[in-house]
Amino acid sequence: MTPMFAEVTGSLHVGLAALGSAIGVSLIGMKAAEATGRNPGAAGQIRNIAIILAALAEGITFFAIYLTK
Amino acid sequence: MRFIKVILIWLALAIVPVAGWCGESASGEASEHGLPSKAVIVFNLGPLAITNSMVVTMLVTLGIVVFAQLATRKVQSVPSGLQNFAEWMVESLYGFLGEILGDKLVKKTFWFFATIFLFILFTNWFGLIPGIGTVGWNALMSDGSHEFHPWLRGGNADLNMTSALAILFFFMWVVWAVQANGPVGFFKHIFAPGSDSTGVMKWFMVAIFLFVGVLETLSILFRPVSLSFRLFGNIFAGENVLEAMMNIVPWLGWLIPLPFYFLEILVGLVQALVFMLLTAVFTQLICSHDEGHSHGEGHAHDH
Repeated sequence: MTPMFAEVTGSLHVGLAALGSAIGVSLIGMKAAEATGRNPGAAGQIRNIAIILAALAEGITFFAIYLTK
Repeated sequence: MRFIKVILIWLALAIVPVAGWCGESASGEASEHGLPSKAVIVFNLGPLAITNSMVVTMLVTLGIVVFAQLATRKVQSVPSGLQNFAEWMVESLYGFLGEILGDKLVKKTFWFFATIFLFILFTNWFGLIPGIGTVGWNALMSDGSHEFHPWLRGGNADLNMTSALAILFFFMWVVWAVQANGPVGFFKHIFAPGSDSTGVMKWFMVAIFLFVGVLETLSILFRPVSLSFRLFGNIFAGENVLEAMMNIVPWLGWLIPLPFYFLEILVGLVQALVFMLLTAVFTQLICSHDEGHSHGEGHAHDH
């Protein structure tokens, strides 16, 4: 069990970045759905903001991928 | 009865790839290979090397141009057919961008945003057509080994293409920003303090906003990088996912990628939308003047 963790190689940081952006995107999605439910009239604006913010949140993963050796 | 027919058709479709797989495994090893990160050169046009993703880019451009010509060949006041479809696309894009950019700015910049949206969208979807990335030739490498080279490769699965789009946007962004604010106003927009405080407080604010301006400049300079990486990463990852799913269970290679194809259709649309939305918002942020700015903010707080 002990040597197993030492043998973890590869892109751990990409996994961590993906985890972070997944949490970020899911929070954005949750709040966007909530906001649309609260104010259906603003659905269009909320969708735009949500798409932009989700793109920014997931962008971190790509930086992590390209920083891989 | 119809259900049985559907099942029979599916079975018939299933036989084709299975037969293909049998042939492949008989001929040799079924090697698993992802999409190479570099596009391969198809042919040389003088000193200019034409890669397979450039071929796709040109094909998509040609398709859009031919469509636009066909749609506007006989323009009628009551549109129908192709003209109707083209008008619907352009009008809904214009309305959508008008909400973000405002009436004046959308008139000036619509050509750019609509073009990149349609181009990215159709390039992404074109890359999903079966045969692209899978039909090719076995090239003889310098070390004597053979390597599979596809004729065509998704245009946005090449970092050169997405960087070109992002750099073009960055150039246009600077031009529009200087046109809207003037050369001095452009730097004022980034560095100058917005509040009207006096005395010691004023100098304090000036120092803070200078520092904010440096951060702002850094984030502006990083925009083309993140724009191009985002688009390239999504499309490239999508192509790799499709290939991995095709190879995961060899005799189910015709079924497992199907849901991922639908995902990729969605991703292609969303990434085109994201590229257009982000570039439009960046433009709106720098070009909006005081009256537009306060109006936008008041609007956001009211709701």
